[in-house]
Amino acid sequence: MGRGWAGWLMLLAVLLAACTGSEPGTTESPTATRAPSPDATATATDTATTAAPTGEETPSPTQTAAGGGTLVVAISSDPGGLNPAITTSGGTHTASELLYNGLVDLGPDLEPIPELAESWDVEEEGALYRFHLRDDVTWHDGEPFTSADVKYSFEEVLLQLHSRTQASVGPSLESIETPDEQTVEFRFSQPYAPLLQQLNVTEAPIIPRHIYEGTDPLENPANNEPVGTGPFRFVSYTPDAEIVLERNPDYFEEGLPHLDEVIMRVIPDEGSQVLAFEAGEVGWLWGVPGPDQERLAADPTVEFLQTPVNPGGANCIMTVSFNLERPIMADLRVRQAIAHALNRDQFLERVLFGQGQVAAAPISSGIPWAHAEGLDMPANDPAEAERLLDEAGWQREGDGTRTAAGVEGVDDGTPLAFTFVHFPTFSAYGELLRAQLREVGMDVTLVPLEPPVFAEQVFTARDFDTNIISYCNATDPEIGVRRMYHSSNIGEVPFSNAAAYRNDEVDRLFDEAQRTIDLEQRGALYRQIQEIAVAELPYFWIVETVGTRAYRSSCSDFQPSGHFAKTASCEQ
Amino acid sequence: MTGRYVGRRLLQVLPTVAGIVLVGFLLIHLAPGGPIIALAGDSGDEEYYAFMTAKFGLDRPLPEQLATYAGNVLRGDLGVSYIQGRPAIDVIAERLPATLLLAGTALVGSSVAGVALGAWAAARAHSIRDLAVTSAALVLYAAPVFWLGQLALLTLALRTGLFPVQGMTTAGGPETGLAWALDVARHLALPALVLASQEVAAVARLTRAGVLEELAADHVRTALAKGLSDRRVLVRHALRRALLPVVTVIGSRPGHLLAGTIVVEVVFGWPGLSRLLLTSVQTRDTPILLGIFLLVAATVVLANLVTDLVYGWLDPRIRYR
Repeated sequence: MGRGWAGWLMLLAVLLAACTGSEPGTTESPTATRAPSPDATATATDTATTAAPTGEETPSPTQTAAGGGTLVVAISSDPGGLNPAITTSGGTHTASELLYNGLVDLGPDLEPIPELAESWDVEEEGALYRFHLRDDVTWHDGEPFTSADVKYSFEEVLLQLHSRTQASVGPSLESIETPDEQTVEFRFSQPYAPLLQQLNVTEAPIIPRHIYEGTDPLENPANNEPVGTGPFRFVSYTPDAEIVLERNPDYFEEGLPHLDEVIMRVIPDEGSQVLAFEAGEVGWLWGVPGPDQERLAADPTVEFLQTPVNPGGANCIMTVSFNLERPIMADLRVRQAIAHALNRDQFLERVLFGQGQVAAAPISSGIPWAHAEGLDMPANDPAEAERLLDEAGWQREGDGTRTAAGVEGVDDGTPLAFTFVHFPTFSAYGELLRAQLREVGMDVTLVPLEPPVFAEQVFTARDFDTNIISYCNATDPEIGVRRMYHSSNIGEVPFSNAAAYRNDEVDRLFDEAQRTIDLEQRGALYRQIQEIAVAELPYFWIVETVGTRAYRSSCSDFQPSGHFAKTASCEQ
Repeated sequence: MTGRYVGRRLLQVLPTVAGIVLVGFLLIHLAPGGPIIALAGDSGDEEYYAFMTAKFGLDRPLPEQLATYAGNVLRGDLGVSYIQGRPAIDVIAERLPATLLLAGTALVGSSVAGVALGAWAAARAHSIRDLAVTSAALVLYAAPVFWLGQLALLTLALRTGLFPVQGMTTAGGPETGLAWALDVARHLALPALVLASQEVAAVARLTRAGVLEELAADHVRTALAKGLSDRRVLVRHALRRALLPVVTVIGSRPGHLLAGTIVVEVVFGWPGLSRLLLTSVQTRDTPILLGIFLLVAATVVLANLVTDLVYGWLDPRIRYR
């Protein structure tokens, strides 16, 4: 704790003093009234709160001429560590990305823009990438940043421990060379198209070789006292309580960042996060539950930022998987019937409170060049669903559950009943789906399972009929789409090809897309894949979800993710 | 005499704790899911899973893993957290003060307040104040902790602004000295109050029932006949004997309190052990989980021992050999 026993003793003394002479059972309140003033909360928290018309706040002690101020951010889980290179955990990335940089950043349309690399050449039709690094970057401890840091970060850390980068870049990469201190060359065995989308601080943060070399990166103490190159520097980390970051005065991007301090507070409960925001204890929320959003929107000093990008993964689509190994689901007509029976607009309104959009294609609209428009997605049409089920041999008597009569692989008289496995947090999807499918004579049993159990039941035991997964496409279909459809991803690896979908043509198209550098040509290949996927329906894509950030109007210029507070500033 | 008794009881702690750790170990390993999903998130390929499984030794047969773990524990090594990559004992130790402070405040506060309220109500049985205490206790006892917590947040923290909503300290607040202690005390108030409320209810009702029974007993009538004051009779003669079952209940409270702190720590953002327990269950961080099991088992066993010793002090007829 670092405060020593003196502090704890004093606390004890305060408590004892509060106890004496007061009515038992109210021991706490006298202590509280002795604390400075109710406004003490506001002084040290987000400068945004000073916009509230209480008029009594003392100025923030961190105020400087630069007018940066302090931003207090609510995060929902303890990061456990602050090294984003060794994990893809959303909690760690949310808390640590401000401390680090990637070789490139991604612009609003996911186009690569310079970060640690100021320029790059793509040669040999995309089998060789040469990056020219900035020469004015230093680590937070003063050491210079060089190409050796990049080589080390990839070879020893990212390609082993960062599961996404390991799984996507790893298999194709042949070698990483460093001809000089400011140059890095990535050589691939064959043309590799998506690399530039996989080098930002989320997918490939660069960590300091001089601190990590020769140690186990998972257990290096620097994971809790990180040294990066990012716009903010580490000050302190109190587990499950708060992380304090301060402005990096030597940051290589001219004039950035503006804020003096960013404090992250761990607040696990969503409702409590909103209360803390309303009370002015925090000034930035990563997400606001739908019902609370309406209430907050009534406050004119609250601003929202909607984005498909989240620290845990960008461009996520809530997707129903059909277990194609089960006889009922192996029949395309049943899958089509389910798709026609589902009213996806209702999912958007009732589950997401309008935050997001109905999925128009298998690939997210957040990757515009790959997202296919004008696909023939099954429309909400219960009559068509009933017709397809009748045709498939699922007979209905009265309003009850349909039963099999001449369905291949299913005994006659078997009811049309199946399981729907989901995370407990997604139970609202399950309930709506069950209600909608009951209308056409299907009997759905909901099976809520915690994520580790879900992963085992769905991907190892494969004991499910249907499920729902938030599949995040990330910044390139290679990262987050391929794993859902490519037959090499059927296996025990969680959150890969849940449907057990096999189609040689689709496999071939993905492999070709990976080698195709020209974005337009790649987009055409992904369009073909999406057309096949919509025709065969191994999955059904329900809604694209977005994150809703909330902050006070006294602050501005936030980015949706990654270095979200790099360009931000708050009025005092 | 008592010394030998305590020694014998302490010896019994070892097999009890060992048994609990064994059961915990098996339960965690038999439960589906593993820590690698927590690390990999929704990505990673087979190579990654194989690499991490081997790294943590999770590919070894279960008896071998158990033997390794037991050997390490005997040497005082609880292992390294899968998720945090730090020694489990450090991770647990740095959370302990926060939980001890919260649970300790709640336990002491609720015991004192509960006994006082119970005796106070019993002194005027069936009066308005008795009715008030009894029904308030009933309502508090029945109210779920998470609901009480949210209610307290909404009314006492957000509406009045008297108390902070979240955490143990103010963001960017004082870090040492009296100012820090005051800051923590202010943050402690609401969670401790909510956590204590249920305990107060239980203790108050039990005390009231006990005192009422004792007030009708012969020795109380004798004491009154001697001319002792009502107050003295109530406290020295009735309450002392009525406390026996109350002490049993309070002694079994540390276990209950820990369960209660999970909810309270989550609602109030209190950075304690229970939240660590919760996240470690979710991420299957076995070294941390088993470390906490060990700690809780030892605490409960010791609390029982203390309870038994307090018995002997309260009731001179009880002797330990």
